Amino acid sequence: MTNPNPILKADDLSKRYEDGVLALDHLNLEVRPGEVYCLLGANGAGKTTTINLFLNFIPPTTGTCYIQGIDVNKDPLEAKKHVAFVSENVMLYGNFTARQNLDFFAKLGGKPNLTKEQYYQVMRRVSLQEKAFEQRVKTYSKGMRQKLGISIAIIKDASGILLDEPTSGLDPKAAEEFQEILAELKGEGKAILMSTHDIFRAKDIGDRVGIMKEGRLVMERTREELQYEDLVKIYIDYMKSEPLTA
Amino acid sequence: MLKTIVKKELLENIFSYRFPLFALICVILIPLGMFVNNAQYAKRLKDYNEQVRLADEAQSGLKIQDLMAGRVTIKGFRPPSQLSVFAQGLENAFPAYYQFAQDGFSQGESSSGDATLTSTQGKFDFVFLIQMVISLVGLLFASDMISGEKESGTLRAMLSNSLPRDAILVGKIAGGYLALLAPFFVALVMGVLLLLPGGFPIFAGDIPARIAVMAAAAALFILIYYVIGTMVSAMSAKARTSLVAILLIWTGFQLVIPKLSDMAAALIYPVRTDTQVSLEKSLLVNTLETESAKELGRQYDQIFAGTKSGTADDANSPERKKWDPIRDDLQLRTREKKAAQLAAIDETFLAQQRRQRNLAATLSLISPSSAFGRLAADICGTGDLARTKYIEAVRSHQKALDNELFSKVKRTLMMHDNGRTTMMFSAQPVDPKTLPKFVVAPATLGEALKANTSSLLALLFWLIAPFGIAYVRFLKYDVR
Repeated sequence: MTNPNPILKADDLSKRYEDGVLALDHLNLEVRPGEVYCLLGANGAGKTTTINLFLNFIPPTTGTCYIQGIDVNKDPLEAKKHVAFVSENVMLYGNFTARQNLDFFAKLGGKPNLTKEQYYQVMRRVSLQEKAFEQRVKTYSKGMRQKLGISIAIIKDASGILLDEPTSGLDPKAAEEFQEILAELKGEGKAILMSTHDIFRAKDIGDRVGIMKEGRLVMERTREELQYEDLVKIYIDYMKSEPLTA
Repeated sequence: MLKTIVKKELLENIFSYRFPLFALICVILIPLGMFVNNAQYAKRLKDYNEQVRLADEAQSGLKIQDLMAGRVTIKGFRPPSQLSVFAQGLENAFPAYYQFAQDGFSQGESSSGDATLTSTQGKFDFVFLIQMVISLVGLLFASDMISGEKESGTLRAMLSNSLPRDAILVGKIAGGYLALLAPFFVALVMGVLLLLPGGFPIFAGDIPARIAVMAAAAALFILIYYVIGTMVSAMSAKARTSLVAILLIWTGFQLVIPKLSDMAAALIYPVRTDTQVSLEKSLLVNTLETESAKELGRQYDQIFAGTKSGTADDANSPERKKWDPIRDDLQLRTREKKAAQLAAIDETFLAQQRRQRNLAATLSLISPSSAFGRLAADICGTGDLARTKYIEAVRSHQKALDNELFSKVKRTLMMHDNGRTTMMFSAQPVDPKTLPKFVVAPATLGEALKANTSSLLALLFWLIAPFGIAYVRFLKYDVR
């Protein structure tokens, strides 16, 4: 079986902020089609910085992010055509209905001619209640907003998906539903990079799991390797270990 | 892509709680202001017509004896500007009339005799509403345009797509601006329609063009405030910070700079008061006439010394033939000297006033609100240009009356060496019906625009500079 080219790739990626904080230190990772890569780590470990670099929200200090082989820093607009993003708190336009939000972001994502029924299909797929389709989003619970956020990612039909702690704050049922949707997207060949604090979910869904500490990727395990190891113990051991030296 | 963002921004604004409030303010206040001002204009017009009729009657009944006694003053009234319905400007500050006499003109009382203390805070007209209300709403609408979307996280969601930042900025400005403009134009049309039953001559002369240009200037002014709000929003990380900055900017532009520019101009170029100038003119006239009277008395005494009684009344006597040209020459020289020196005083005074006003106008261009106010007032015929035209008409009318009326009467005042004072009169017939009418030619729209080149340039500056800053800041805006 051939090893396909990675959709998402961080190549020797570092980020030092203006205040001198080294948020990311020579990160290398790859996410291939049909693969879910979970980034674990404490707050400030560099997970969100990694996602911000992939989205060109900030420029890297050194190294390169690639999306579908395109250098994000050199051609961000072309690179971002191939990636969708779901944040921890999916923020949408509260005065718009779910369909209006979906329509707006679909157009931004390069899908200008979708029908109402197509929007409804996507919302059904993420188990959003029918009656909520034409409701203003400001009335939505967090779980509903996350579902709508993933609908936006689905409708863009990008090959890469970046998820920044998407299940944080969700109730177990909503988190489970969210995980099922991710499994489907993985099955469709999407490359998914997800930052999370949820070790159990990472083990469940991740094809690979990386642990970050002080901007460095200090451990990486495959799903197969994790069958014989206790991820929780590994994670806690890393978190308890001495600070890294530069 | 741009269309999508414009549409989103437009709808987001329309769906917000602010929009119906703003629309309500527009559709109530703008038509109401125009309706009330139209009623006031009608009242002023009625007053003007009545005053002109009375003045015409007085002029047609003009008696030569009154003229010889120096009791004749002719009044010239300025007609109210029809477009004061939109911008009252200086309309009530202008003298209601000027008085013309042999010794020159003087201004009558201003038409703001019924002014109240609250009226000093600005007249409730279309331009005032745009300057004070819509400008603030424009700033507030734009205040959270970028910082607000950053706080809510939607900016990150947008920028995670293949979307150039300049398209987002332009789209957001365009969409938000359209949301502001729509109720404004609806209210303007409603206001104009409300004027029609009152007989407002909406299609007369260049009125439609003036209204269109003023509406365009108002649209530009609203855009400027929206872009300034956007700039502040692009410079702030938090919507609350934007809000505070915006309120400070609005206060500076609307309230502080216009007042400060007038004060600074008055300090830099102080100008004498009307009373001081009037006293100086009286003193001059008195001095010149006394000098002339003494010289005439001396010459008269020399020529008629030792002649028998009645010689001075005999036009064919050799003494009269000698006296008449001397008297005419002296009077002519005195009249010319008086006219020249009075004109010089007027000219100096007007030039000082003009210089002070020009300085105040230039300083006030620091505020886009002042620039717009000046432009709108001149378009409506109630600004500085109307004042200039009024003064031009007054000076021209004084000249015409000097030629047609005042020069027809000769009063010869003589002060003799023995302390005796005598006055002799001679007059040519005057037909009051042939006297020129006082007409103030309004400035054309072209003249108004030309006179406001600096205002227009200032407005363009206030559009381009904040947009440039907003553009540069937004390209580097930290969306995290």
